[in-house]
Amino acid sequence: MSPHRIALLFNANKVYDRQVIAGIGHYLNSTRVEWDLFMEEDFRSRMRDIHHFKGDGVIADFDDPEAQAALSDLHIPVVAVGGSYHDPSHYPAGVPYIATDNTRLVRLAYDHLIEQGLSRFAFFGIPSHPGSRWAQERERAFLAIVGQESVEGVVHEGHSTTAGGWGAAVEELVAWLTALPKPIGIIAVTDARARQLLQACVIGGIAVPEQVAIVGIDNDPMAQLLTRIPLTSVIQGAEEMGRTAAHLLHQMLRGVDCSTTRVLVPPVGINVQASSRYQPLRSPHVMRASHYIRQYGCLGIKTEQVADYVGVSRTVLEEHFKRELKQTVHQAILQHKLDTACQLIADSDAPLADIAVRCGFTSLQYMYAVFRREYDCTPRQYLDRHRTADAATAEHRDP
Amino acid sequence: MPISAATAWGQSPDGRPLHRWTLRSAHGAQVDLSDLGGTLLSWQAPDRHGRVGEVVLGHADAAQYLASDAYMGSIVGRWANRIRSGRFTLDGVDYKVDRNDHGNHLHGGVNGFHLQRWEVEPEGETLVLRLVSPEGDGGFPGEVRVELRVRLDDDGTLDLRYAATTDAPTPLSLTAHPYFNLSDRRPDIRDHVIRIDADEFLAIDAGAIPIGRQAVAGSAFDFREAAPIGSRLHWPDPQLRLVGGFDHCYVARPGPVDTPRTVAVVTEPLSGRRLTIDTDRPGLQFYSGQKLTGQPARRGDAYGPFAGFALEAQAFPNQMNTTEAEGAILRPGQVWRQHTRYRIDTV
Repeated sequence: MSPHRIALLFNANKVYDRQVIAGIGHYLNSTRVEWDLFMEEDFRSRMRDIHHFKGDGVIADFDDPEAQAALSDLHIPVVAVGGSYHDPSHYPAGVPYIATDNTRLVRLAYDHLIEQGLSRFAFFGIPSHPGSRWAQERERAFLAIVGQESVEGVVHEGHSTTAGGWGAAVEELVAWLTALPKPIGIIAVTDARARQLLQACVIGGIAVPEQVAIVGIDNDPMAQLLTRIPLTSVIQGAEEMGRTAAHLLHQMLRGVDCSTTRVLVPPVGINVQASSRYQPLRSPHVMRASHYIRQYGCLGIKTEQVADYVGVSRTVLEEHFKRELKQTVHQAILQHKLDTACQLIADSDAPLADIAVRCGFTSLQYMYAVFRREYDCTPRQYLDRHRTADAATAEHRDP
Repeated sequence: MPISAATAWGQSPDGRPLHRWTLRSAHGAQVDLSDLGGTLLSWQAPDRHGRVGEVVLGHADAAQYLASDAYMGSIVGRWANRIRSGRFTLDGVDYKVDRNDHGNHLHGGVNGFHLQRWEVEPEGETLVLRLVSPEGDGGFPGEVRVELRVRLDDDGTLDLRYAATTDAPTPLSLTAHPYFNLSDRRPDIRDHVIRIDADEFLAIDAGAIPIGRQAVAGSAFDFREAAPIGSRLHWPDPQLRLVGGFDHCYVARPGPVDTPRTVAVVTEPLSGRRLTIDTDRPGLQFYSGQKLTGQPARRGDAYGPFAGFALEAQAFPNQMNTTEAEGAILRPGQVWRQHTRYRIDTV
């Protein structure tokens, strides 16, 4: 029997779509099901030609408003993938639907902010658009949660991003952030939006996370790369969505009726980083200084520069640090460099010499000396310990 | 850390006093055990912020444990899981044991190990629990002596080493039966993400008795890559519909003999808590807790469906009535051993 010909209709230029497709791939590999997969060579989905597709089945992104109309009279099995809806009547009729559970994504971000001790919340969305109904669903979920729990919650949709309007959009965002009561936790509808928030906070001199704690959605490595303050982000169950979609199509190709099957996939984790590690600090000087150290700590700054930024004398700043953090400003800078180095050693394959420079150590030798003093081991030993711990948990993972 | 002195904890039906012991780790974890059924009453474990919270389900008091049919946190024996019609043949002799689950035997019968009073004695940092199961207990042959050594390590591992001997051949399979919920905020485990390192599971009939091995590949049972429990419950799978969720035994991948290997890892996204189970047993029963509805909880309230999940390291269900029966029999002169570790840390 020749393999089934399956079309995957996704705009796979975002991490979420790519993970869905990866999940489909995992399913095929695990089952040895042979599908002849059709995708546009630029990974964009074009619905208009789909009626000429001589294939056996389709898995499509139904967040694309064209999909529902274009695929409704197709006489081969179709599995829909998209965002969840609060109103069941919004789901397309007659096709199985695999959804990312928008309510639970927002709930996880919200609960995380609650655990940080915050009691005021905001949501940064995107303006309403037919292709982003999922964003409206997340906004709605946020309003429902703050409504249920009777806490303060404001929503801001801002502007769509355009190169021309960028300057004005940032100004407007800074003004919104400045006017918000502090401290506050903000859920951004995507990591791309969270990145804009972080940027506006830096421009507006607003301390993250002490004044504004931020959580995004997607855990997008690209957004992580482009932010100076590492971003906390909710991880969608996108791979599991892909596995589920492939399974349902596989069943339908065997004649099983799945037309009323609806599977909502909850988030699979939250990557907790500095942008939401809110710790209530009493001293505004320490808060501003910590914000500055998080941004520039690896660029060779000294206590004087931190004091200048805060606008107080070195002596005053040291007194505040001693009282609040039981350490000197210099120790706080060193701790930031060490934390960053440990993170890079654990998460990247970069050479240690590069890591030493990136973390603001004057040389590899100096980084060795600091590790020896603080952790009583070499960076290499630190790395080995970390890898051993990882390997122990990853054991038996491969089939 | 040294084990604190026992405190009084209700009494058994024959009026003997029951007790609870507390084990503590250097990092703030705390485990409470009782001599009634060797029950794990409570496990407090830190979340990603170091805040300690309860991670196992429990009843309110000893009376509720004695009246319970949930095997809540207890040590289960002499036979963990089911035996078809409560019947098996051993060395040519037919045996009939307690039938307490729709005509089948389940978890040691009406007065299983979970309802018995164990002798408990701290030995340094280890709590040693001993039980003598008399000849004819639940209908099983032979007098069985069990010793269970429990310790809580500083890395958050609850280490269980079992040893058992008998004076006549008997089927034996023991397991711990805690229901976990790694979130101390939400009384529902469907958002937990689970990985099970097994390529096969045992498909069951309507009485939950295994009818054969089935590959997990391409089915809702494939957790070789981690996936949320809840969304799998909506996959169209007749095996799930039979019991309203997961209540199936996985065939763990073989590892080195008598050495625990990792068989399952469960994480809870919000708290960041991660449970890792290592065992030297061949089977791992995964129960998603769908029938916990109405079970009394600690504060006078009741649990709902999917309030907790169980992962039970054991022999295969009904193994006595399969070609692998001999692997489930303990004979005089042999020492039956099991080593299982539950570790809770954070990601």
